Amino acid sequence: MTTTVGIVGAGTMGAGIAQVAAQAGSDVLLHDESGQALARGMERIAAGLRTGRGETEGAEALARVHPCRAAGDLAAAGVVIEAAFEDLAVKREIFRALEGIVRPGTVLATNTSSLSITAIGALTRTPGAVVGMHFFNPAPRMKLVEIVRGSRTSDETMERARSLALDMGKTPILCADTPGFIVNRVARPFYGEALRLLGEGAAGVEEIDRIVRLEGGFRMGPFELMDLIGIDVNYAVTKSVYERFFHEPRFRPHPIQERMVEAGTLGRKTGRGFYRHG
Amino acid sequence: MGRDGAGAGIVVITGESPLVEEYARACIAAGFTVEARFTPDGGEMLPPGVRRAARIRRRASVALELTNTSREAKRKNLRALDRALPPGVPLLSASAATTVAEQAAWITRAERLVGIAALPTLLGGALAEIAPGPGAARGAVDAAGEFFRALGKEIAIVQDSPGMVLPRILCMLVNEAHFALGERVAQGGDIDAAMKLGTHYPHGPLEWGAAITPAHVRAVLDGLRRSYGEERYRTAPLLARGGGNSVVQL
Repeated sequence: MTTTVGIVGAGTMGAGIAQVAAQAGSDVLLHDESGQALARGMERIAAGLRTGRGETEGAEALARVHPCRAAGDLAAAGVVIEAAFEDLAVKREIFRALEGIVRPGTVLATNTSSLSITAIGALTRTPGAVVGMHFFNPAPRMKLVEIVRGSRTSDETMERARSLALDMGKTPILCADTPGFIVNRVARPFYGEALRLLGEGAAGVEEIDRIVRLEGGFRMGPFELMDLIGIDVNYAVTKSVYERFFHEPRFRPHPIQERMVEAGTLGRKTGRGFYRHG
Repeated sequence: MGRDGAGAGIVVITGESPLVEEYARACIAAGFTVEARFTPDGGEMLPPGVRRAARIRRRASVALELTNTSREAKRKNLRALDRALPPGVPLLSASAATTVAEQAAWITRAERLVGIAALPTLLGGALAEIAPGPGAARGAVDAAGEFFRALGKEIAIVQDSPGMVLPRILCMLVNEAHFALGERVAQGGDIDAAMKLGTHYPHGPLEWGAAITPAHVRAVLDGLRRSYGEERYRTAPLLARGGGNSVVQL
């Protein structure tokens, strides 16, 4: 893979995608305005490469990641993948700024999991170059990348994004720009119905998880998985899909989850969610 | 289970495909003698060793009623089993589409009735959900547990609620995948691949729905909608038309 990949945002997802691109042989320009975030991102990549590859190979991959605080450094990228905060106004601002930096023909991808690709691209001069590349967490391990076509994304951009994902060793799946894309939409009943069953007293947390694992063959039950993902994150995705489908009842959030977010019992990251951890 | 000297016992099954075949196969493998009666006709795929019964044998150890898609057929079967079998024979009934409480009102000896989460493909799992009916006798619940343990399953006892636990979650996943496919969010194979890769589901929801069969999925969703009266449980148009995938064997 010879394309230089620019990444905007050095958080968990940005660093993970940067690691994947570097491991696939690309030069990576990792941009974050915060020096602290950039340093943390580089540490995360270094740690990921230490555990994932041989020492020499890991060092070579790490050397291909170039941290940059100035957005202007992204000018050399052939593809830019934005992995910043999930906020439409923030992302729109980033994409408008990127247009003034990158060369014509550069693919502008967003790793959004919940926002509209069409809306992100709408204020740019080149909406045909804007595409969704939704990686899953943790990016180095998860094979899936949803390649999301906005209403004005060009065929060429779709193909280049798909090809980049393949070069990264991922499995690209093409999908339309609809709320939740594929996975975050189709998975909603896994959590929503489990919460309703719990709320109705049909079975307890551990019993529902045990049933789903042993009877259904799922790797994790819905409550174990919500604790792992973060109950706040899961709740935010549900709310987003619900809002964007204009309050379609299939996606209605559950008060149990809202209450847990209010209480700060967010799962593994806080030591307490549906289960106690640590 | 071992009464009558017939190996692990005699299991009388009524119901529909492919549930009757799945349960008959598992019962035979566990050493039971099986007699099956289909409503409506079916059973071309019955495993060897299963007797197709015209009448219900009174000397049964346990009776299984495995109909999800027709409430009328289910009611007839349950009444026939309840009339024919001596009081002590437990009656385990598929309850993913109809609550145990509703079924209990159809028969005289409700104390023998125990709901089971019978849905095609689920018997392949390592656990069986059972939901005692209102007024179910302890002996009937114990017998249900003993029956499934004889098939090599763990037991989870849940409250009687529409769709039980896994059938409700699973059929709603299948339904949502059909909504997405119908709205052309992605191609069918891609939806299945995305769910397996992105969430580690054991099967794609469309292929799973095809294996369960659209008729059984619709029956569970119809039961949920009937119970709750909510739009949330309406069937995706594509699923209502027969599903987005041909029937597959998982």
